[in-house]
Amino acid sequence: MRGLRAKGLCAALGAGLLALAGQVAHAAPSRAGTSYYTAAQAERGAAAYQQFCAVCHGADLGGAFDVPPLVGRFAANWSGAPLGQLFDYMSKAMPLFAPGTLTQAQNADLLAFMLHENGVPAGRHDLTPEGVKTMLFPKTTAASMK
Amino acid sequence: MNSFPDDPKNTPSRLGRRGLFAGSLALGALAGGRWASVPAAAAALRRTAVPGTVPRLVPMRPHADQITDIKVCLRPFRAAGPRLDVERVGEKVVIHNYGHGGSGWSLSWGSAEMAVGKAAALSPRRVAVVGCGVIGLTTALVAQRAGLDVTIYTRDLLPHTRSVRANGSWTPDSRVALTAPAGPQFADTWERMARYSWKSYRDYLGLPGNPIDFRDSYVLSDTPFDAPEPEPENPGQKGDYATTGMPQQSSEFASYGARIRDIIPAAELLSAQENPFAVPYARRAPLMIFNFGAYGHLLLSEFYQAGGRIVIREFHTPADMKSLPEPVILNCPGYAARDLWGDRSLIPVRGQTAWLPPQPDVAYGVRYKGASALSKSDGLMIQGFDMSGLGEMDGVGNSFEHADRSEAEKAIGIFENLFARFPAGQG
Repeated sequence: MRGLRAKGLCAALGAGLLALAGQVAHAAPSRAGTSYYTAAQAERGAAAYQQFCAVCHGADLGGAFDVPPLVGRFAANWSGAPLGQLFDYMSKAMPLFAPGTLTQAQNADLLAFMLHENGVPAGRHDLTPEGVKTMLFPKTTAASMK
Repeated sequence: MNSFPDDPKNTPSRLGRRGLFAGSLALGALAGGRWASVPAAAAALRRTAVPGTVPRLVPMRPHADQITDIKVCLRPFRAAGPRLDVERVGEKVVIHNYGHGGSGWSLSWGSAEMAVGKAAALSPRRVAVVGCGVIGLTTALVAQRAGLDVTIYTRDLLPHTRSVRANGSWTPDSRVALTAPAGPQFADTWERMARYSWKSYRDYLGLPGNPIDFRDSYVLSDTPFDAPEPEPENPGQKGDYATTGMPQQSSEFASYGARIRDIIPAAELLSAQENPFAVPYARRAPLMIFNFGAYGHLLLSEFYQAGGRIVIREFHTPADMKSLPEPVILNCPGYAARDLWGDRSLIPVRGQTAWLPPQPDVAYGVRYKGASALSKSDGLMIQGFDMSGLGEMDGVGNSFEHADRSEAEKAIGIFENLFARFPAGQG
């Protein structure tokens, strides 16, 4: 846990620079070249997802009758919305049975995994709690669909 | 979700209302010389049917291998009662209507009437309703009936909303507030809501598909009803809501049912001849029920027929309300308000119901050993509402919205055992 937190801190510094590089994410959120997360981070997120989220949202993120999916309609609900709002929501409200109990780094990893599962390609920088503040949830395109 | 109107608190004299009927059946007894007068006979009988003439009950078939569905709900409980205040978000006026605990279905019409009254006072031509559970949908209908153009904004429609995970019976003061934080003023508000809703629901009785119906509800006990019950307090727990920010004991929960006992059918104690169950003590009271499928479709049809519009949309922050074209917003998000509006006063109260195939020939419900079974048009509902002796504290603070099959099987087992000994005197 401590290791993850430290990693998150370093990544936060990197993302700060990314944010300074201009409102790139705001202007063209799905533009090629925008780095949202790294493949390694998505893998960490996948493991956390199976541990904390899959029990309700399903191993494949497909949700259930009474549980919202985290792909498909989910992307439509969040497309173009500030990614920071989604991060805040996850941090406060999830997991439903113990809201607010995951670390910032865990939530960033989970969000990275969710972006990956929604067809957003991996980039060069970890997603961070600071970094998400200047990003929008990318629009899903036919090309990005799995 | 689990308080029944046939509570021991509600046992008024029923001579006034039933005197005529009781009197007619008491004539035979009078002729036999057992009572001096019709009123004396009626008082002694304390029932509406001649012993032995109660219709035979078709047994329920409660077996765990018959489960078709398990539903988990989080009742949106607030210690002070539902949130009904008015808030400004930018240029918008937001009228809140959420946090009805286990009484949302029961209070829906009355609560909607109050919220829409506030909206109408602002004379908007059109209003937005956020959320489409039973509170949102009912509020939208009431707004239409007040002459407003209504658009519902919602992420989900019935049957995906949490509302449909209730048990669907008239329980107007089930975990709706705590007596002290809610105060006497809310008791008055509650009574207005409950009376308004009760009358509104009567308009939906006797319709095709029975969206709203009545069931005889039997409450069974192995000990006399007037025996002092051990207080279902939390052993070892001290304090209350005022000191801990969470309810700690059943006795903190408000009980307002006595305020409307003049319109709610009272429970009657059954004699041994009238009691078909192999359990020594039984009470019976008619109970109003809501059949989710028939009623939900009916409300939605009425909304569309009156020109209503539904927009599928998920809100991420209260500031999103500013983007709506309507100047007045009726906010009915239910439990989602906890995170959408940051309302930390919303406390989850978990409840779970198991559903077995419908048994249309079973027209009653039973409550026994902390569990209830209720025959509805969409299935035989079985709920363990107090199998641990926690009383009203059962499920408080628990937001695990995931089915617990062992809990369902335990509740079903109570009735499997009961009906294995049914009817009394056989087998």
